[in-house]
Amino acid sequence: MKAGAAPLLIERLSKRFGDIEAVADVDLRIRQGEVFALLGPNGAGKTTIINCVAGLSRPTSGSIQVFGHDTVRDFRVTRRLLGLVPQEIVFDPFFTPRESLRIQMGLMGVKPDLGRVDELLRMFALWSRRDSATRSLSGGMKRRLLVAKALVHRPRLLFLDEPTAGVDVELRKDLWEVVRRLAAEGTTVILTTHYIEEAEAMADRVGIINHGRLVLVEERDSLLSRNRRGQVRAVLPVALSAPPAHLPPGTRLESENVIVAPWATARDIEEILRVVRQLGEPEEISIQQTRLEDIYVDLLKAAPDSLGRHREGESE
Amino acid sequence: MNWIGLGTLLAKEVHRFSKVALQTVVSPLISTSLYFLVFGVALGARLREVQGIPYIEFVVPGLVMLAMINASFLNTSSSIFQAKINGTILDILVAPLGAREFIVAFLAAAALRSLLVGALVFIVAFIFNGMGVAHPLYTLLFSLMVSATFAAFGILVAIWAEKYDHLAAVPNFVLTPLTFLGGVFYSVEMLPHPWDTVSRLNPILYMVNGMRYGLLDRSDVSPGVALGVVSVGLLTTVLVTWRVVASGYKLRT
Ligand SMILES: Nc1ncnc2c1ncn2[C@@H]1O[C@H](COP(=O)(O)OP(=O)(O)O)[C@@H](O)[C@H]1O
Ligand SMILES: [Mg+2]
Repeated sequence: MKAGAAPLLIERLSKRFGDIEAVADVDLRIRQGEVFALLGPNGAGKTTIINCVAGLSRPTSGSIQVFGHDTVRDFRVTRRLLGLVPQEIVFDPFFTPRESLRIQMGLMGVKPDLGRVDELLRMFALWSRRDSATRSLSGGMKRRLLVAKALVHRPRLLFLDEPTAGVDVELRKDLWEVVRRLAAEGTTVILTTHYIEEAEAMADRVGIINHGRLVLVEERDSLLSRNRRGQVRAVLPVALSAPPAHLPPGTRLESENVIVAPWATARDIEEILRVVRQLGEPEEISIQQTRLEDIYVDLLKAAPDSLGRHREGESE
Repeated sequence: MNWIGLGTLLAKEVHRFSKVALQTVVSPLISTSLYFLVFGVALGARLREVQGIPYIEFVVPGLVMLAMINASFLNTSSSIFQAKINGTILDILVAPLGAREFIVAFLAAAALRSLLVGALVFIVAFIFNGMGVAHPLYTLLFSLMVSATFAAFGILVAIWAEKYDHLAAVPNFVLTPLTFLGGVFYSVEMLPHPWDTVSRLNPILYMVNGMRYGLLDRSDVSPGVALGVVSVGLLTTVLVTWRVVASGYKLRT
């Protein structure tokens, strides 16, 4: 690790698969100790970027440095510093969780330390199944094992590729907790997701990627405050003929006793709930938040210029 | 060099084949013993002597070689192919392991399995007819080189293969036929022209005969030539494998 070097510095990274430009001219500097969320729809190029850093993909052009070391030339140094939790669940049916962790530790070039292995087994609630066939573990356990494996050599930069896709609420909370703890201990974390709430809960900074291009990199707080909105839906005990006054513009009746009101701030939500309650205790209330997909579409609409410039630059 | 990584990968591969020893060690032992019984004992009663030694002994080196070639090829190819299919190759690809560590670990594990299988087959033959080893050092060196060659070949095939059929085709349609045609059951001198000459284009002929020299001090080719052919084969396959693994071909997208 070179002193003062960024955990990750990506310069002009491009990756083509035949005619597909999976990653196009991406520049990115990750700060020491931050949690960075890479947001984008399926096929945007998130996994490809991670694979290029971890050495699973060979970049078509551009350079990648991990703590100041080139990922191609100094791969032995950079891979030792990286941890990767892959998007897909993979496991070797030959080995038990404990064996898998011990093996991964050795492969990473770290002296076998069963204490560390057992610590991780306990931390990820795999202790009781440590000597079971990995194949017999539940999906959630297998995913926790993947995270444990990625941490066994104490990486300084951890990638979590869609860690919570298809994961139940409890495990999602657990994973967020792990990320928080690692970040507190100084590990830099990059996660990919297409859930804005995940970025909101976890990330210090957010990068939005589409069609292989990094469209925007911004502090989470400013991104969310600019874009936070959603709607409150309330089922009332009474029928209405029109939306009540004092609700935000755009409020509508879904049916005679169902109100749908848009919100943009936490204050809006409080106000909507207050007005609705005056009409009688609602039978059902749900607060929905705009998903990344919607914000994302808006961002593209709002920034045709920057995208246009990219395209022109390409054809030069 | 990532020595810990190399050692771990080697231990992992040994662990893998020992966990299924019934399939990886006992099964080749049984099938070669069957060959040995059928061809050696049954035919041996009629054929009596080849090159001045009992036929039952004459077939042993070729059968040992066949078992070793298959063991080393299967050890690397099935392990790497499975890892490719189920995605766990990722564990190795994200580790700080270069082509050197990768190849040395896989070759060493395969050679261990191959030597183990070869030794067991030989012990069975020993029990049947009490034969010894004429040139122990030559036999050991030669076995190691042949095992490493086919282990490297197994890495190449596993990297290239896209379905299990591709993998299974090699032992069935290449290794076993070439070994049988390489004079396991006969001396090439017994073949009519031009087959005696054509046979000499088969690299496995040199392996069978080298082993026959090592165990029985009999051979259709000189032991030096056999060693030479195997050395060239080993160097070529290892070099090609090293280039392919280092390039990331079909392993790193
Ligand atoms: N190995 C591959 N071969 C061909 N195309 C690929 C390969 N990996 C990814 N792609 C393509 O590259 C693009 C980006 O994929 P990916 O990085 O997986 O996106 P994301 O992780 O954001 O969903 C997609 O169009 C995908 O089909
Ligand atoms: Mg992905």
